[in-house]
Amino acid sequence: MTPSSRAPCFAIAAFLALPFLTACSGGTSGRTQASAPPDLNGVWSAPFTPDISKALGHQPPFTPYAADLFKKEDEIDDPLTQCLPIGPARGIQAGLMPFQIVQTPGVTAILFENQRTFRIINTDGRSHPKDPDQTWFGDSIGHWEGDTLIVDTVGLNDRTWLDTAGHQHSDQLHLVERFQKMDNDNIKWTVTFEDPKFYTEPWSVTLPIKRQNTEIMSYSCEENEKDRVHLKRTNTKK
Amino acid sequence: MRSTFFSALALASALFLASPAVAHHGFSVEFDDSKPVTLTGTVTKMEFMNPHIYFYLDVKDASGKVVNWAFEGSPPNILYRQGWRKDTVKPGDVVTAKGFRARDGAHLVACNTITFQDGRQLSMGNGNVKGYGKN
Repeated sequence: MTPSSRAPCFAIAAFLALPFLTACSGGTSGRTQASAPPDLNGVWSAPFTPDISKALGHQPPFTPYAADLFKKEDEIDDPLTQCLPIGPARGIQAGLMPFQIVQTPGVTAILFENQRTFRIINTDGRSHPKDPDQTWFGDSIGHWEGDTLIVDTVGLNDRTWLDTAGHQHSDQLHLVERFQKMDNDNIKWTVTFEDPKFYTEPWSVTLPIKRQNTEIMSYSCEENEKDRVHLKRTNTKK
Repeated sequence: MRSTFFSALALASALFLASPAVAHHGFSVEFDDSKPVTLTGTVTKMEFMNPHIYFYLDVKDASGKVVNWAFEGSPPNILYRQGWRKDTVKPGDVVTAKGFRARDGAHLVACNTITFQDGRQLSMGNGNVKGYGKN
């Protein structure tokens, strides 16, 4: 259970080592960048925001379809209740647990403690696939603009929620995130949600991300799950 | 720009402190915050496991009958960072536990705090009482 005694995850370690090995073998060695991007490496956490509309200040601009769905939705149907993956933005804003950013020249990974899931953000100049498969964390590409890493994500399935309150999205969701390094211990994170099926216009939320003096620890949602048999429908949005 | 950013920090901190620390399900779908409960008993078992820790208390009711209650807390990683360890609560300990009952009437409580006989009080993850021990 302790960080120092937990078993190493060889698959992730091997993955994370790959870009370093590529660089050392000549892929990018010898190049000098005009200005090195800020270093985002470290363990970070955003404040737990289980209702993203509270951070927005009002409800997002629902389409009629999404407004009706939101009224009917119940927290019992939260994918996390079924121990399904948390999704790319909720993992940051409502994961309740810290995440680790591992930054290399060609790829930045976000390792979520929540269910030990991860995001891969390719920063090697590639584009999105033309017809990406729809997955829990989608396809993410990133580039730097000054002190800010801008991440563009498409190819998401429609099975994650944006928060515990039940704000949802379709498989047309397009995320744009800005990770602006403020100082050594602070990142300003702005996420823009664009989804014409659920929202009439793009909307954005900004939250502070703060460096944590900890390590990523173990978390397995199914390890000793005992709650589901006790859950009751309690929709309080009516 | 900076002042807006730190205003967002204050707002987000307030949101965090107001939120029950439930890891993989909403609080209200399992527990009823209109049914607070305080129970004292002897610990029979501790499960320092994901996605929530559980400990169990033998509690005597008004008739003297002993009922075994389950108490749910935050995930062990969150509690670990507050100072909890797997043996912080051990079988045989006598504690008073406060929390909210399950909606379905089971002998199950979402635990806020526990108090040992020597007066030490621990949060079960709601952030309103600090834990103890080394982080």
